[in-house]
Amino acid sequence: MNWILQALNGFSLGALLFLLASGFTLTFGLLRVVSMAHGMYYLLGGYIGLSVVWFTGNFWLALLAGGSSIAILNYFVNRYLIRRTGENHLAQVLLTVGVVLILADIALTIWGGDSLSLPPPAFARGPIELPGNIFYPKYRFLLIVFGAIIGAVLWIFYRKTQIGAIVRAGVEDREMVNAMGINIDRLFTLVFALAAFLAGMSGVAGGAFLSLYPGAEWEILVLALVVVIVGGLGSLEGAMVGSVIVGLVDAYARWLLPEFSHFAVFAPMAVLLLFRPQGLFGKEA
Amino acid sequence: MVLRKWPLLFCAVAAALFAPLYLGPFWLSLLMQILIFGLLALSVELLLGHIGLFSVCQAAFFAVSAYTVAILQVKYGQPTIVAVPAGLGAAIILSLIYGIAVRTSGVYFILVTIALGHVFWGISWTWVSFTNGEGGITNVPAPAVGSLTITSHSSYYYIVLAVVALCVVGYRTLTRSPFGLTLRGIRESESRMRGLGYNIAAHKYTAFVLAGTLSGIAGLLYIYFNRFVSPANAEFFLSIEVALMVLVGGTGTILGPFIGSAIMLGLRNYVSAYIDQWMIVMGLIFIITMLWTPDGVLGVIRRLGVWGRTSHNQPGHRTPTPEEGK
Amino acid sequence: MDQNAVEVAGLTKAFGGVRAVEKVSMKVPVGQRRALIGPNGAGKTTLFNCITGTFFPTSGKIFLFGKDVTRLAEHRRTAMGIGRTYQITNVFHDLTVLENLILAVQGNSRQKWVMHRPVSAFSGSLKRAGKELDRVGLTDRTHDSVQHLSYGERRQLELALALASRPRVLFLDEPCSGLSPGERQRIAEIIREFPQDITVILIEHDMSIALGLADQVAVLHRGSIILEGTPDEVRANPEVREVYLGKV
Repeated sequence: MNWILQALNGFSLGALLFLLASGFTLTFGLLRVVSMAHGMYYLLGGYIGLSVVWFTGNFWLALLAGGSSIAILNYFVNRYLIRRTGENHLAQVLLTVGVVLILADIALTIWGGDSLSLPPPAFARGPIELPGNIFYPKYRFLLIVFGAIIGAVLWIFYRKTQIGAIVRAGVEDREMVNAMGINIDRLFTLVFALAAFLAGMSGVAGGAFLSLYPGAEWEILVLALVVVIVGGLGSLEGAMVGSVIVGLVDAYARWLLPEFSHFAVFAPMAVLLLFRPQGLFGKEA
Repeated sequence: MVLRKWPLLFCAVAAALFAPLYLGPFWLSLLMQILIFGLLALSVELLLGHIGLFSVCQAAFFAVSAYTVAILQVKYGQPTIVAVPAGLGAAIILSLIYGIAVRTSGVYFILVTIALGHVFWGISWTWVSFTNGEGGITNVPAPAVGSLTITSHSSYYYIVLAVVALCVVGYRTLTRSPFGLTLRGIRESESRMRGLGYNIAAHKYTAFVLAGTLSGIAGLLYIYFNRFVSPANAEFFLSIEVALMVLVGGTGTILGPFIGSAIMLGLRNYVSAYIDQWMIVMGLIFIITMLWTPDGVLGVIRRLGVWGRTSHNQPGHRTPTPEEGK
Repeated sequence: MDQNAVEVAGLTKAFGGVRAVEKVSMKVPVGQRRALIGPNGAGKTTLFNCITGTFFPTSGKIFLFGKDVTRLAEHRRTAMGIGRTYQITNVFHDLTVLENLILAVQGNSRQKWVMHRPVSAFSGSLKRAGKELDRVGLTDRTHDSVQHLSYGERRQLELALALASRPRVLFLDEPCSGLSPGERQRIAEIIREFPQDITVILIEHDMSIALGLADQVAVLHRGSIILEGTPDEVRANPEVREVYLGKV
C-alpha cells in the first residue's frame, strides 16, 4: 500500500519538477542559455501567487499572476543582462546567480524568512479515494493530472505544430533557422517567456504542498538540474522521463532511507554519467 | 620585469611575516580568512585557468575535510595527528568519486558539479545522527601535536601562512611542469591533444583530484581557524562565491584568486558593518564583474599597462561550449 | 617490404542515414607516399578520422602494422605511430610555438605526467622541438605566441606538430589548403624531405602537388574508392577526368 502512496508522491513531485525543468531545458536547447534564476523564479512566483491568494482568495488568478509576473521579469533580465553575455556559459551562471541574490534579498524583505504555505483551492482540499481503497491528498493527485496535461500540451506543441517544428529545428541547428528567414528573435522571446511562465506557475502549484522559504530556490533548482542532466540537456522528452525518475527516486528514498535521501536522488545521475554522459535523450556524444 | 618583481615579493613576504605585530585581532583574522579562501579559490583556478573547466563543487571537498576533522576530534576524541591526515584523505576520496564529472564538458560539467556539490551539502544537512545537521559541529579543539597546543590566533596565523605558501609554491611548480603545459593544451584543443597521444580524460581526472585535494587543505586550515563547521560551509553558494573570487581577481595567475578573496571578504566586512542588504551588494558584484570586468582586477591593471604580462597564460575565462567540444 | 603500414577492410561510416564512407578497402605498404583525391564530400577526411581514431567506423576493420585497431582509442593509435595534421588548422593558439612543439614531443612519453620539474628542465624534448622547428623553418618564431603567426606559418606549425610525435605513418589532411602557390611549393618541399621510412597518406586538392608527391593514388568518389593506381594511370583515366579532374 505504502509503495503506491510513495509512487503517487513521486509522480506529484515529478509533475512539479517537469514544469520547471521543461522550461530550463528548452531555454538551453534553443537559446544556449543556462539560467540559475529558474529556482528563484519558482520561489518568487510562489510568493506572488501567495499574495494574490491572500488578497483575492482566487487560486487560478494566483497561478496566472505568478506565471505572468515572472515572464515579465524574465523579459527584462534576459534583455538587459543575459543577452550581453553571448554564449559564455560561465558568465551566464554567475550573472544569474547575482540576479538570484538580489531577488532573494528583496523577497526576504517582503515575505520574511518564515516557511509559508499556499492554501490549495477549496475544491482540491481533503483526500481523494482511489481504486483499491487508497486515500490520497486530492491536491497532489490533481497536480499529477495537471502536470500530465501540461506535458501533453507541450509535447503536441513541440512535435505536432509548425512553431514546434521551428523550435526543434532551432535546437538542432540554429544557423539553419536563421537562414530560413524566420523571425528567430520573436520565437526566442516566446520560448523564453513560456519557460519563465511555467517556472513562476510551478512555484504557485508547488507552494501548496511544499512550503515556500528562503533557500527553497536552490533546492528546487538542483533537483531540476538533476532532471535535466538525467534526461539530456535540450530534450523535452528527456525532461519528462527525467522528472518522473527523479520524483520517484526522491519519494522512495525519503521513505526508505530518510538520512540519505539527498544522496539517493543523485544515484541515477551518477550511473548515467558513467555510462551515458550526455543523458538519456541527449545527442552530444 | 623580473628585477621589478623581486622587491615587491620581498616586501609582501616581510609584511606577511610581521603581520601579527601590527594587525589587531580583527584584521589578523580577516587576513587568515583571505588566505584560506584564496587557497580554495586557487583550486577553482587550477581547473578554470588551465583546462577551462568550471567546477562548482569545490566547497564539498573543503567541507568534507573540515567535517572529518571535526567529527574525529569532537565525537571520537582523536588527536590532530590522526584527524588531519584523515581529513585530507576524505577530500581525496571524495574527489576521486566526483571525478566522474570530467566525463562531461562545457555546460554539462557546470551543471553536474552543481548537483554533486549539492549531494554533499544534503548529506551534511540530513544525516543528523552523524553530522548534527543544521547545527553543525561546534567546539573543535585547537590543533595539538603531543604536548604542544596552538591556542593563540597569531601562532595559528603562521601555520596558515606556511601551508598556503607551500601550496602556492607547489602550484607554481605544477603549472610550469610538463603536466601543467598538458592541461593548457587540453584547454586550447582537445582534439589535437588526442591526436598527439594524450589520454585527455586521465589528465582531466588527475587535475580534478589535485584541485579537490587543494580544496581539502583549505578546509583543514579553516576548521582549526573557525573551530566550527556547518552545512553552510558545503553550500553551492560557497562554491560559486570562490569562483567569483577567481574572476574578480583575474584568471591566469596565482595572485588573482588571493586578490579576489581579499576584495570579496574585505567588502563583505565593510558593507555588512553599515547595511543589512549584503546579499544585494553581492549580487551586484556578480553582475558587474560579469558584464564589465570579465578579466578581473588584474586584467584591468594589465590593460592599463601598469603590470605587463605576469603569467604563463592569457587572461580570459571562456568555457568551452559543447560545439567546441566536438 | 611486405608489411602494410595501414590496411582498411570494408570500412563504412554512416552519420545518421548518410554514408560518408562506404565499404572502402585499401592497403598502404610501409614507406609509401599515398595520395587520396576526390571531390569535396567524397569522404576523404571521414576516412582519415576513422583510421586515426577520431571516431569509430560503423562497420569494417582497420589494421596498423598488421594489428587490429578498429576499436582502439585515438591516443593509443598515436602511441603506435600515427601522426596527423588537420584540414582546419588545429594548433594551440594561446601557447608559444615552442610550447606547441613540446606538447607534441612529450605526447608519447611518460614525461607528460611529470609535475615536479619545470618544462625547461627537459633538455631532450627542447632539443627535439628545436629540430622539428628547424625542419619546417620556424626557428626564428620559437618564442612567439601562435596568435602572432601568419596563416602560412601556422600551416607549417601544423606539420611540425605531426612530425614531432615521431610518427611512422603520417596523415596529412590538405596541408596546402588556403596557401599561396609559393607557400604550397614550400610545404611540398618539406613533405618531400621526410625520411623515407615514414609512410605518408595525403589528402590534397592541388593536383600537381598531390600527383607530384605520391607513389600511389586512390580516387574517392561518394564514399567509395573508384580507382587506385600510379599518378600517371590516374592522369590517364577517363573516369577520373569526369568525376574530378574535369571540374578543376
